[in-house]
Amino acid sequence: MKRTTLAAIALAVTAGLGLTGCAGAAGPAEPQSQDGKTRLTVSVWNYEGTPEFKALFDGYEAANPDVDIEPVDILADDYPQKVTTMLAGGDTTDVLTMKNVIDYARYANNGQLQEINGVVDTVGKDDLAGLDAFDIDGKYYAAPYRQDFWLLYYNKELLKAAGVEEPKDLTWDEYTALAQKLTTEAGGKKVYGTYHHIWRSVVQAIAAAQNGGDQISGEYGFFEDQYNTTLELQKSGATLDFGTAKSQKTSYRTMFETGQAAMMPMGTWYIAGVLQAKKDGKTDVDWGLAPLPQKDSNGKVSTFGSPTAFAVNKNAAHSEEARKFIEWAAGEEGAKAISKIGVVPALQNDAVTDTYFQLEGLPTDELSKKAFSPDETALEMPVSDKSAATDKILNQEHDLIMVGERSVADGITEMGKRVKSEVLGQ
Amino acid sequence: MTNMAEDLKAEAPFAGEGLAPAPEDRRRTQRDSPRERKKRTSDAVIYGVLVVLVAALMVPFIWMVSSSLKENNQVLTVPIQWIPTEFVWSNYTDIWTRIPMMGYLQNSLYLAVIITCLQVLTGSLAAYGFSKVRFPGRDVLFLAYIGTIAVPWQAYMVPQYIMMQNLGLTNSFNALILLQAFGAFGVFLMRQYYMTIPDELCEAARIDGLSEYGIWARVILPLSKPALASLALLTFVNTWNDYMGPFIYLTSNRLWTVQLGLRSFVGQFDAEYAMIMTGSVISVIPILVIFLVGQRYFIQGIATSGMKG
Amino acid sequence: MTTETLPPVAPAPAPAHSRGNRKQARRNTLIGWTFILPNFLGFLAFTLIPVTAAFALSFMEWTSFTAPRWVGLENFQRMFQSDTFWVALRNTVVYALGHVPLTMALALVLALLLNRKLKGIGFFRVAIFFPYITSLVAVAVVWNMLFSPDNGPINQFLNVIGIAETPGWTSSSDWAMPAVIITSVWRDMGYYMILYLAGLQAIPTELYEAAEVDGASPWQRFWNVTIPSLRPTTFFVVVMLTVSSFKVFDLIVVMTNGGPGRATTVLSQLIYQEGIGEGKFGYSSAISLVLFVIVLTVTVLQFKIQQRRER
Repeated sequence: MKRTTLAAIALAVTAGLGLTGCAGAAGPAEPQSQDGKTRLTVSVWNYEGTPEFKALFDGYEAANPDVDIEPVDILADDYPQKVTTMLAGGDTTDVLTMKNVIDYARYANNGQLQEINGVVDTVGKDDLAGLDAFDIDGKYYAAPYRQDFWLLYYNKELLKAAGVEEPKDLTWDEYTALAQKLTTEAGGKKVYGTYHHIWRSVVQAIAAAQNGGDQISGEYGFFEDQYNTTLELQKSGATLDFGTAKSQKTSYRTMFETGQAAMMPMGTWYIAGVLQAKKDGKTDVDWGLAPLPQKDSNGKVSTFGSPTAFAVNKNAAHSEEARKFIEWAAGEEGAKAISKIGVVPALQNDAVTDTYFQLEGLPTDELSKKAFSPDETALEMPVSDKSAATDKILNQEHDLIMVGERSVADGITEMGKRVKSEVLGQ
Repeated sequence: MTNMAEDLKAEAPFAGEGLAPAPEDRRRTQRDSPRERKKRTSDAVIYGVLVVLVAALMVPFIWMVSSSLKENNQVLTVPIQWIPTEFVWSNYTDIWTRIPMMGYLQNSLYLAVIITCLQVLTGSLAAYGFSKVRFPGRDVLFLAYIGTIAVPWQAYMVPQYIMMQNLGLTNSFNALILLQAFGAFGVFLMRQYYMTIPDELCEAARIDGLSEYGIWARVILPLSKPALASLALLTFVNTWNDYMGPFIYLTSNRLWTVQLGLRSFVGQFDAEYAMIMTGSVISVIPILVIFLVGQRYFIQGIATSGMKG
Repeated sequence: MTTETLPPVAPAPAPAHSRGNRKQARRNTLIGWTFILPNFLGFLAFTLIPVTAAFALSFMEWTSFTAPRWVGLENFQRMFQSDTFWVALRNTVVYALGHVPLTMALALVLALLLNRKLKGIGFFRVAIFFPYITSLVAVAVVWNMLFSPDNGPINQFLNVIGIAETPGWTSSSDWAMPAVIITSVWRDMGYYMILYLAGLQAIPTELYEAAEVDGASPWQRFWNVTIPSLRPTTFFVVVMLTVSSFKVFDLIVVMTNGGPGRATTVLSQLIYQEGIGEGKFGYSSAISLVLFVIVLTVTVLQFKIQQRRER
């Protein structure tokens, strides 16, 4: 028996070794840079599932035959953690993609990124949406190439069935009434008037954007109306209740694509997703876009958004080439390349918008187009070294208000108290 | 080592009358005594308990299998849908082309096998030193081993990474093998098992002129098959399912393991849960094979049989 | 009676006194180290040194981008003043107090139940190990469904047996931790069952035979033979369970992500968020040092108790 065991182990080892060797079995060995080409490395998340990267890299390589871009593919889930670890080890990846502005602030403030004011100036400061977020005392350490903002998705069929033409110029009160009207239950299938995903931004960032509030101020009175609206929707059953959505890890895509929700406030990143799902025949939802509901009915649209940017690593092996790449990617060429796959570029000018609306499958009605040019796009979360810690507290207290353990007033007081004592040190 | 006599001896009752006779045994005592009948009743009861238990334990796994046969936007529905409206068998063919699943499986297997072998070998060696040889400082050193288990990896992974980077070991399998093969877990497990093996056995072997290494190889190792099996099994499973370690250390896609591959279905704002579940079902299969092989060593009595000899 | 039949477990070679014995002791040391060395070298280089470095960091401020700066006890001061730290510590302890005894008891019962020759026993053993290898997402989704406050099967059952005030489980601050504990016990018991199963194999059958000859009842045999013989395994299981309870991370992140509010936030989450999440590595190291001290104290206590019992 002993001998057979040993033999089995030996066999397994040789099999394992033989199968993989030391090189790794999932794909060909790293491509060596070919004759004289510069090998530019760019950190990205989920390369296969985020087509914008491939669009940008292919476009740049075509325009610059002497450069070979190699993506450093990192899982989306823990992207910042891995980047932080790699940088701590002195990694020389050339271009770092900034997934959100909070991480950007951390890297930039710690001197991990190169200043790229020149690049930003060339691209054009006025046309780059969301650029303000990257301004640290007049210096830019990254340039945004993509800017997602929030709008309202709606299911045209469900609205028509309820006799509503389109959700035009809604205030939050009108929106609530509409959502309640759209909520139906027939044959055991419940259709919710709207779906609010569990992220705190759905309440808090909207409130901040439309009331001019500051989310790291420690004063959160401006959240109140938005919480009341959301809780009322939840209480009347016009949206899936928060506790269920959170514990069941409800997918907003499922809610919208299976017609379980008639409306849904969500970011523009979902446009590419829903287009793809329709193309693959995975959903037949007839969808449209509308501006986010507003506080007042003065016709002015405020929403919030968050930019995604490229930065140059302090230890980059090819700093010059990295700058050139960012100049291209954030500029018009790059913007057109990602527009073609439904991603909203940071650079906004007529040429780019035209390219965007040529996209196949995109709703072409006036309201959808209007949704695309909000009057004001606030930053989802202000950039500061306090942002991460504040974000955590706001998240925790958001939970408690939404599951009904704290009243809105108590929750808001508690947020303020905790942010002041734990973050602002007052 | 095993023969019929020992198998029978293995049946010595313990902790209750529930111990069932081996099948051959049952045949022999067909014209059964009341005791025999009682045993069969208790067997039935035990089967009943086990079946209920297993049903309760398998529910999430069943959800996993069911989800692996759905379209992605049908997975996380409210309320839960147990049976797919339409069986999407193509998930099981698509996954091999969507990601290099075969390569990931090979990488995982390579890591798990190497790490398990090293862990079992060095762990059982060190355990002998910690349990059967007495020398000054032994227990303090042992406590240091256990102590480090208590430190969450999240706390020291960055210093460790910097060290590995300086040694030029990051982005290679070697980094992970070195990190995980010499853990304290195996030493601790094996030491505790060796403690249950009476010292008289070693003493007798010493008198017979065996060296300490000889005792380890010829007396202790053969006796500790159940422990070796459980150590191997648990190490294999933990390595196979490890996510954070490979995530931090393996950057090139061609080095990725199954767990990393499955996470690549998680995007920035949403995830393809149908594919993740499909991959998870596939990745359970190797573990099941290992388990079915390993659990054969959990047969009472083998370990200490021949102890009197 | 059965106690005499137990093998004396204390290691054999007696402490050295005479000169001959001293030479023997030196030889023993040498032999002992040769056994330990292969594992120890790897352990020293890749675990002990980084761990020590991390502990040193707890007295410094370090963002991982620039050189560390000595700050003395500042991190600890901040930690002891932080409300969140105490909440997380309390949650961790509560989790451990629930998770350790329940898992241990159930794992032992399962091991006893499965330590027999039955047709298809392999299948049942595998089945009990299944929760441990089921994808965590599946575990979280299904258990959260079972715990659903309004129409979950668990609360429906509680209603049937006459409990009108059913708990809110994962949507309630008071019941989220019990829900997490139940799920984690369910998940881990198969893992520790394997360890007990291995431990049971080491008990000499002669002990049971002797006990039976002495006329001991099954219960007495269990109490006087099985339990004492399993002591080393139990020590291992208790220590590993304590350690893993204090380090619990994955399950909580997937199931409740520390919520609602801070109801299930535990120390290792704090270590992760503060350290690699926000780049306060000094502070996160300080928390892990505290965690380490707590677990080590528990372990040393266990170790001493075990040693005393062995004598």
